[in-house]
Amino acid sequence: MHRVAFSKADTAKFISHLDLMRTFQRSFLRAGISIKHTEGFNPHAFVSIPLPLSVGFSSACEVLECQVLNLPLEEVPARLNAALPAGITVHRCYEGVRPVKELCYVNYIVTMEYEAGAPFGAESAIRDLLARECLVMEKHSKKAKSGKVEVDLIPLIHRATVEERRDTIALDLILRAQNPGLNPELVVEAIRTHCPDAAPDFVSFHRRAVLDENLQNWE
Amino acid sequence: MNRTLEHILPRVQKPARYTGGEYNAVVKDRRGVDVRYALCFPDTYEIGMSNLGMRILYGVMNEMEGVWCERVFAPWLDMEEEMRREGIPLYGLESGDAIADFDFIGFSLGYELAYTNVLNLLDLAGLPLRSEERYGLSPLVVAGGTCAYNPEPLAPFVDLFVLGEGEEVSQEVIHLYRKAREECWSKEEFLSAAADIPGIYVPSLYQASWREDGTLAAMTPLEGAPAVVTKRIVQDFDHSYFPVRTIVPSTEIVHDRVMLELFRGCIRGCRFCQAGYAYRPVRSRDPEILLRQGIESCRDSGYQEMTLSSLSTSDYRPLERLCDGLLEWCEPNKVSLSLPSLRADNFSLGLMERVQHVRKSGLTFAPEAGTQRLRDAINKNVTEEGLLRSCRTAFSGGWSSVKLYFMLGLPTETDEDVLGIADLAEKVYQAWKETTPNPKRGVTITVSTAWFVPKPHTAFQWEGQISMEEYLRRVKLLREHMKGRSIKYNWHDSQTSFLEAVFARGDRRVAQVIEQAWRQGAKFDAWSEGFDFDRWMAAFQTCGVDPAFYANRTRDKDEVFPWDVTSVGVSRQFLWRERERAYEAVITPDCRAGCSGCGANQLCPGGKCDA
Ligand code: SF4
Ligand code: SF4
Repeated sequence: MHRVAFSKADTAKFISHLDLMRTFQRSFLRAGISIKHTEGFNPHAFVSIPLPLSVGFSSACEVLECQVLNLPLEEVPARLNAALPAGITVHRCYEGVRPVKELCYVNYIVTMEYEAGAPFGAESAIRDLLARECLVMEKHSKKAKSGKVEVDLIPLIHRATVEERRDTIALDLILRAQNPGLNPELVVEAIRTHCPDAAPDFVSFHRRAVLDENLQNWE
Repeated sequence: MNRTLEHILPRVQKPARYTGGEYNAVVKDRRGVDVRYALCFPDTYEIGMSNLGMRILYGVMNEMEGVWCERVFAPWLDMEEEMRREGIPLYGLESGDAIADFDFIGFSLGYELAYTNVLNLLDLAGLPLRSEERYGLSPLVVAGGTCAYNPEPLAPFVDLFVLGEGEEVSQEVIHLYRKAREECWSKEEFLSAAADIPGIYVPSLYQASWREDGTLAAMTPLEGAPAVVTKRIVQDFDHSYFPVRTIVPSTEIVHDRVMLELFRGCIRGCRFCQAGYAYRPVRSRDPEILLRQGIESCRDSGYQEMTLSSLSTSDYRPLERLCDGLLEWCEPNKVSLSLPSLRADNFSLGLMERVQHVRKSGLTFAPEAGTQRLRDAINKNVTEEGLLRSCRTAFSGGWSSVKLYFMLGLPTETDEDVLGIADLAEKVYQAWKETTPNPKRGVTITVSTAWFVPKPHTAFQWEGQISMEEYLRRVKLLREHMKGRSIKYNWHDSQTSFLEAVFARGDRRVAQVIEQAWRQGAKFDAWSEGFDFDRWMAAFQTCGVDPAFYANRTRDKDEVFPWDVTSVGVSRQFLWRERERAYEAVITPDCRAGCSGCGANQLCPGGKCDA
């Protein structure tokens, strides 16, 4: 299995997960890179993105899995970059050795913006909130009958740093990646619910790193 | 990306439509360009990006030195709301710059129900709607496309219309504009000079006057503008621009594939069909060139689907040879090829079998009318025998679904013709029963009827559209006679077809109704989310305009039509003769069988059509 490490920024942030897979499939063809196809009636290039990114998030550490058939892996990034839409940049293509299940944590930078400057006391309120023993939020679930389940965020937050700047508060979060994972949007929702005074006007999400159990980069 | 934009995009549906940045989107250095062109499609991104004409013009203009052409689509309702709230003016997708500062704002008009979107886009750009209220030389508001053949309903809003194929004339307009800017012409001076370019219609240079009975008295040209503006065509279709390198959207669009254009025009001459007359004469592209374009387009785009897009694809003479050549490349490269519009009468299953990747899905035929008499009247060269033969071949080959398209309200239609549709559907069902190898699987026969809309520049431009009550009566009649669980009947919504009939043959008085309806919130009229019939009726009333006058009235032979200022190359005498033949149910042979003297040959060098 080969892995393509890429970042997603600017206009490309708004390409959805499914559209991104299609975009990569076409980009491989444009770049003259053959990759392994699925079997079956309607064979198509096999690509997979183990940890889908929400629409609107930027990321420095995306990974796509595929099987390159016709090229030395070092040649892949340059070729792909010439074929990809703006905002997607491939950094590396390598033989993937570590299984996806070892991908334990994701590091997100959440930037909360306040048009009138960060409200007084917001930073400490947020810090207190994230330091609670337990913090239960409702989230959407396709599996549950009611369409909703309750989750306690605290065990899923490995580390949270809160830092106030002039008109933003930045959260540096290390969250569980999978089984179950935590989407940082839920953390912001908890802030809106429990610290309404600290509710931001706008939030941006950036995925900075994917980490293993020992908080080392997973690749 | 603009920060405000970045803030609103997470809140709207399908934000990738509003960002630009797609593969092959043309980004130029602002300092290196002196003409900025906003190419606007007054519908959603998904529809506009599927339009081959848009892609061609985009490519042609961006190949010009110093010209930067960008795309603009109608933001969907949620996005518009956000843009208005945050004060984001309409912007070009490539640069993000407000198009109000551009030199040209060009609209592609494909269907009448997008007219309110044209006004809405101008308003979103922050521009006055009416040409006379935009004083400066720029931005110039230009419009082209099929609807421009009756430009009058948009006359007050548009500075100049481009009639016919825009590849060459758009460049001429840009050249003239550069000259005008250099020499500091006023907008009026520019428009008056532009009117001398063949194919350019400048509405402000024509004065409309009406008779007491409400019909047009004359369209009087001013300042030496031509009495009739004839459309432009690209004569050398082999060497005309084709967008081999074209934008590949990062989000799904309606026609998400390579589109090859085999030829322009159509040899058939169905009497109701505006495209059939308006795109005359036929000009084909060499199969070798098409083969090259097809392969290069797939390679460049990474698309794995290709379609042959022309009016009546099976009339392309070297179709077999082209398909053979394409398939030879497509199959090993896992690209599927599809033929969208094969005719029922020369449908070849062998070809279909080979090209259709997703085999046996659906077959589509458009007999348009239920009886041979009426099909002869509209000159639709489809026979029952031919249709059934094609169906039998297809069914015995395992196909199990057929779609049949018809129109209700065609001139001379009687109840017998209406019931003929049910008969034909029943015969198709019987044909299936007799020939299918797997009767257990069942069959789906879908019959769809649309309400006939008489269009300008057709043999039926004089006809009244039947009343809404009558249309609904015929729908009901047909519904009651459509038997059997295997036959599904869909009919087209009547209210939009009525409005379409008003706009299609409207004059400048209809323009104020469009403006009024837009002021009351009309937009996206082709979408159920946007369309509100009562709002339209109220607008007609406010403006004192009777929609039935435009939609339902049968015109006299010599009535002055609003679109008489435009010519598609087909003479009015020819169309009248075709109308008379319709009433006698006499067919006219297609252009390949023999020239009927429509006049379009005058557009070709040497006055000879290559049918
Ligand atoms: S075949 Fe008839 S309906 Fe089709 S494009 Fe030609 S003229 Fe129009
Ligand atoms: S001039 Fe004759 S051949 Fe040419 S389009 Fe008209 S009818 Fe057809």
